[in-house]
Amino acid sequence: MRRRRTSADKASVKVSILASIALSNLLSKKLRTGLTVFGIAIGIGAIFFLLSFGIGLQRLVTNEVIGNQSIKTIDVSSPNSKVLKIDDIVVERISNIQNVNEVGKAYFFPGSYKISSSESDSIVYGIDAGYQSLTYLNLIHGKLLTSSAANDSALLNKAALEAIGLGKKPSEIIGKKIELIVPLSKVDEKLGTLKKEFTVIGVIDSGSGSEVFLPANVFRDAGVPYISQFKVGASTVDDVQNVRSQIESLGFETVSPVDTIQEINQVFKFLNFILIGFGSIGMIVAVLGMFNTLTISLLERTKEIGLMVALGARSLDMRRLFVFEALFLSFIGSALGIFGAFIMGRVFNFLMNILASQRGVQDKFELFAYPPLIVISMLIFMTIVGLLVVYLPARRAERINPIDALRRE
Amino acid sequence: MKNHLIQTTNVSLSFTVGGQNVDAVKTASVGIPEGEFTIIYGASGSGKSSLLNMLSGLQKPTKGVLRYKGDDLYTKTPNELAYFRASELGIVYQTNYWVKSLNVLENVAMPLYFLGHTKAEAHILAVDALKKVNMSDYAKKYPTLLSGGEQQRVAMARALVSNAPVLIADEPTGNLDSKNGDMIMDILKSLAHDDGKTVILVTHNMEYLAIASHLLEIQDGVVTEIDQADIPKTVKSMLTDVRKRIETLMEVD
Repeated sequence: MRRRRTSADKASVKVSILASIALSNLLSKKLRTGLTVFGIAIGIGAIFFLLSFGIGLQRLVTNEVIGNQSIKTIDVSSPNSKVLKIDDIVVERISNIQNVNEVGKAYFFPGSYKISSSESDSIVYGIDAGYQSLTYLNLIHGKLLTSSAANDSALLNKAALEAIGLGKKPSEIIGKKIELIVPLSKVDEKLGTLKKEFTVIGVIDSGSGSEVFLPANVFRDAGVPYISQFKVGASTVDDVQNVRSQIESLGFETVSPVDTIQEINQVFKFLNFILIGFGSIGMIVAVLGMFNTLTISLLERTKEIGLMVALGARSLDMRRLFVFEALFLSFIGSALGIFGAFIMGRVFNFLMNILASQRGVQDKFELFAYPPLIVISMLIFMTIVGLLVVYLPARRAERINPIDALRRE
Repeated sequence: MKNHLIQTTNVSLSFTVGGQNVDAVKTASVGIPEGEFTIIYGASGSGKSSLLNMLSGLQKPTKGVLRYKGDDLYTKTPNELAYFRASELGIVYQTNYWVKSLNVLENVAMPLYFLGHTKAEAHILAVDALKKVNMSDYAKKYPTLLSGGEQQRVAMARALVSNAPVLIADEPTGNLDSKNGDMIMDILKSLAHDDGKTVILVTHNMEYLAIASHLLEIQDGVVTEIDQADIPKTVKSMLTDVRKRIETLMEVD
């Protein structure tokens, strides 16, 4: 049966008043409150700093390893290129697999290139538009190869320019002629050596060794019968696994960035676990400090609680008062901790970038990541911790007998 | 017949201290008349505070029934008892108790907070209560920084703030000099005579007994109700007893 709500039930202390009394209590002991908040800030800040470092590092490594590859891309290769070749029939069959969005073909051979009097070895690629779309080539000067590009167009990467001493002036190469020499006799003796002059139309920043990119038709026209590398773009990331299975059922091998990401995630899951473990030590100390503060506060204020109950406060209100104090401590402590960790992260990242640039690393990097979900989770986590820590002191406050409390010396 | 605001029927209170059973209040059936000045008189340790705790809804009697306006007080839930204390009683203690982190105004407003008032409403009423005891200039100060007399006046304002029909004062002049003590007694008398409040004063000080319109004497837990007509005679007899005891002591010296 539902109990009738009496005027006593309705006359509860306004939450804003309880919160203001709780705040006054905390502020009346500034040093103690400050030290407790500082302890919580250190604990939460340590966890947040290490966690954002772990996640940031994970992202950095993932970006470095996966680079410009789309996560939906599948690299297809033959386990034995002499027996199972990737020719037009295979390309056609794979293109027709459900949820295959795009395919890209590439030829690559070792070769050399010559500009003016400078000469260097390089990997020479012949790529079509699909391949170019599935492999993000970071263009820094000029333009990319288009489907309508002339067959004598070429792209060079920065490493290829550096090999011939033009690394610092990439724009100057645009429009210049280069001579490429690509021996194709290993594919078929009849093909001989491709020796042709090309015009540089763009410079890209990808790959660590010298690379030259030509339109795929150059090799097709030269009579190369099958392609060296084949890329497949799935419609969505969820389709990757299914498309891979179907390609593998045709006897080909597949590699996807998803594999690498999973391996990286596995490693970082372990690393993050260790980092959180270290941070948790500070957290435990902070929680004990908070428990200590609330317990001492309860003991000091037993008489005050007795007075409030004698004047008409409900026991429930006394419990709420302590809950508010714990929430203030944990929320302010964690907010300060997160903010402090963020500032420290920025400073650390700035210093590491300076150090790296002094050692020749030109690109800026980001060692820390601050996903909003982590910030919100940390605040919620600390609020829950605060509620758990205050449970015992709040229960004791609720049970204080006003007569005993007021008699207390 | 007098209209009793509070009525006890065969009420007693016992508890155990250090393994020994103590009968703090022995079976008592007394009434507190509405709108009158009741004094509970007794020596230290006679059971005055125990009786007061029962009357103020803080201590359930071991036996018996205590009715307030006809309702059995101790059948109420803890929340209802808290509401009863906040709305029906104003309490002044001998020792001043404060929430030290709150200023005078907030301490005075506290009973109103517990009645569900907003801070703004409570503070307006608290300023009015402080004006009644000439302490409104001290509203923003912290009570522990005030003198004993000033603190007791602030405590009086806290008891008055909710305009409760009953005012309970437990030895309110015990720690005060005669000037401040008299001022507190004047306020209490005015509350009973001018405002029609029911005042219950607990004291061991005989000089105030003449103020009472209703007297309860408590001795070793036994409560005796003295009729109004008999109060002067009783006070006279008590004073004679005291005088004789003093004379005897002086003869011995």
